[in-house]
Amino acid sequence: MVTKTRTENEIICKELREAIGAEKVKDDEITLVTYGRVRHGFDIMWPFRKPSLVVFPESREDVVETLKIANKHKFPVTSVGAAPIMLGTTEGGIILDQRRRDRILEINTDSGYAVIEPGVSFDKLTSALRGTGFKCAVGTMPGPGTVLGQALGRGSQSFSTRYLSTILDLEVVLPSGTVFSTGSSHFEGVGSHLRYGPYPDLAGLYTCGYGAMGVVTKAAIRIHPVNEASRVHLAGFDNYADAIDYVKDLINHNIPEHTFIWDWHMYLTWPLALEDMEKVMPWILESDFRKPPEGIPYDLVSTLLSGYPEQVKVYEEICAKVAKKYHGRVISDEEAEKRFPATLAGFRQLYGEYSYRESVHWSHGRFAGWYVFAEPKDMKEIEKFAANEFAKFGKAINPVNYYSHPFDYGRSILLRIAGFMEPEDIELRKKIAAKFEEMYNIALKKYRAVPIRPIGSDKALDPNNILNRDSGLFEEGEL
Amino acid sequence: MKLTTTLEDVQSAASRCLRDARCTYGSWPENHVLCPIYWREPSFTFSGGGYLFLILALQDNKIDFDQSTADFAFSCSGCIACESNCHLIPAHAPHAGIFDIIRRLRYEAVKRGFVPGGAAKKIYDEVKKTGDYGQASSLNLPEKISSDKADTVIFSECAHTTSQKDISEATVNLLEKIGSPVSAFSENGCCGSTLYDFGFWEELEPLVNANWVKMKPLGNKKIVFISPHCQEFVVKRYPEILPDYSPLNNQHISQLLVDAFKNGKLKSKREGKVKVSYHDPCYLGRGLGIYDAPRQVLASLGGVELVEMTRNRENSFCCGARTLGNYINNLSEDTGKERIKEFEATGADLLITACPYCKEVFRKLLPAGEQEHVKDLVELVNERT
Repeated sequence: MVTKTRTENEIICKELREAIGAEKVKDDEITLVTYGRVRHGFDIMWPFRKPSLVVFPESREDVVETLKIANKHKFPVTSVGAAPIMLGTTEGGIILDQRRRDRILEINTDSGYAVIEPGVSFDKLTSALRGTGFKCAVGTMPGPGTVLGQALGRGSQSFSTRYLSTILDLEVVLPSGTVFSTGSSHFEGVGSHLRYGPYPDLAGLYTCGYGAMGVVTKAAIRIHPVNEASRVHLAGFDNYADAIDYVKDLINHNIPEHTFIWDWHMYLTWPLALEDMEKVMPWILESDFRKPPEGIPYDLVSTLLSGYPEQVKVYEEICAKVAKKYHGRVISDEEAEKRFPATLAGFRQLYGEYSYRESVHWSHGRFAGWYVFAEPKDMKEIEKFAANEFAKFGKAINPVNYYSHPFDYGRSILLRIAGFMEPEDIELRKKIAAKFEEMYNIALKKYRAVPIRPIGSDKALDPNNILNRDSGLFEEGEL
Repeated sequence: MKLTTTLEDVQSAASRCLRDARCTYGSWPENHVLCPIYWREPSFTFSGGGYLFLILALQDNKIDFDQSTADFAFSCSGCIACESNCHLIPAHAPHAGIFDIIRRLRYEAVKRGFVPGGAAKKIYDEVKKTGDYGQASSLNLPEKISSDKADTVIFSECAHTTSQKDISEATVNLLEKIGSPVSAFSENGCCGSTLYDFGFWEELEPLVNANWVKMKPLGNKKIVFISPHCQEFVVKRYPEILPDYSPLNNQHISQLLVDAFKNGKLKSKREGKVKVSYHDPCYLGRGLGIYDAPRQVLASLGGVELVEMTRNRENSFCCGARTLGNYINNLSEDTGKERIKEFEATGADLLITACPYCKEVFRKLLPAGEQEHVKDLVELVNERT
């Protein structure tokens, strides 16, 4: 870790202020500690870290100048679109907060893409798309989060059937100050409609790169047409394996626009308002997540069907047929309205309005999640394994955030199981972290599961390792 | 939030902040920026979450209380937009809104002797000297309507602003026109709202207790408030402070006027046409949820056409009057100017509000010849009935 002295910090601060303007460079203590990693529900075990400077660029040139100066001094830079939950602050470095760069530069309804700055939130983009006949990919959330932050981290997008990666084209600034575009807009006057083709897929370098190989200053993202008809179809299953088979079958036949598998703990609580949460959550947290009550399916699969009305009607019939084939059953709107009305309302909002409004997060910041990618048949075994392991924790972390969804047309499945434990119980957190590590190792060796771990190196693009060091992509990084 | 709630108590709730600045802007799909400090300096620091993170850092001794803490804490305008938009923080014990927690931060700063210069210091000095702030204004109710036995009681607030005199006079005139019996309740010193907002909590409880001793015997009489700050504080905060609080039958003056127009006791005169824009005061709107009554009153006035500003109702933008901190230069003034700009964009002739602080700040920011373009609702109604 490179720790700069106070004098060096002052020199860098002065240079930055001269280069981009004093008002964009903050070094007051209150700004620094509030951008620091403080003892917080989501990162309670992490050490306190405080940046030396927080920079608010208002143009690409501001980013270029900041990186040039930082690189010259080998000064760490952590780039964010807007402060995320877990800010990977590097002690003594610069936080490059691009929230003030939040313009939507173009909405192209011919090719289906939008060109945005890094600070654009889902709330802003979904709002701007109203009336254009286009929408963001379903599954985008939450509203205040930046589109680019999620797209680059892949977030909760499922890429099921009709969606591909959100990213089409990126404008990137390297630590040296070099600016380049990864896609077709590389050619002057050409739009951002092509991610790769006669040239390599450079945007791929930055997807899940967590800002460690360059700072993205502009992006073209895919937007999707709103079809004439759309409907959320629900099917219930008594076990996870059947739900996976159902989803795979539908995807293989190009039926869903989007599909998602919800564990019963999650679908009964996810969309609830506070007052309902207060009624439902104590009961949920006390119950055995492996044994849903009579009439409550273990898994619920929500499937967005869209197209012409005639097409959607046929799709519904196919969903019913396929559900039956895999021992499931259709959950009618009437049944959903009766048994879990808030869930239905949540689906309608998510799929109908293509927007996500914040629901009450019951997690209290005490979040402990385990998540892996695997091929479908392996995932069926992994889910059994993970459920049994989580059951051993007992009520200490009864899973509530428990879901699964396909990536890349079902070639890969994501499973995420997360529970809430007492936030202040550091010992328990440590035990859970150790147990999760053990589970990742078993899942990898026995079930070929891909753990959520950094793998790469960014030495060629960022030789001084100044960018987002905590992302762990640099081989000599801290993680 | 109870006065006994400590910074340690709020730590757990503060720790739930997702750092996503959701507290700074209004409802989808408009997504208007509503937090004045964030509007001026978009930064996590200058969001409700920033205040919460500062508390976490203070709790962990990563930063010390000093003058800048006080300046920062008092730079929040207290417009409670954050509380309307963040449902996460109040969901967790101690179930306090973000501004409740900021008030607590102010108290901790004041307790340590850190108070911003200017208006805040003046208030602080007066509170320290007299144990109170402001002086009860008297409403000179005409004999023909004044009755101690009346079921309606006008809450006579202390005069913190010069605007209050005209508002009080207009109110008395209107009550006389309505003609129903009414009595006046004079506060025993400040109701406490100002002391509460600015963290002068040491002197708060005696004032609240003294007022409650006078208010409690009013029983089920209808108490009518003119200042939304007093009403919000008495109705929503007294229950948290007073163990023997019993719910008050309360109404804002705009609601009383709606009733008066409905039952024919107040009639609009034939007047020339005028376009008005209504500024929702933070505590009448977001604080008490009273959005319709002032608009219904305006609709009852012949020749008055209401033109809404872009940010209205629950998405209203603050006037900046209660920004007393100096962490950002001219924040209060710039906030008010931004709102005036929004008013001017409507093309309306008059800017109507229903809070003495808003009226005061808007008039102060306008050139001398244009100050008459700002009126309180009761003043407009008094002119046109």
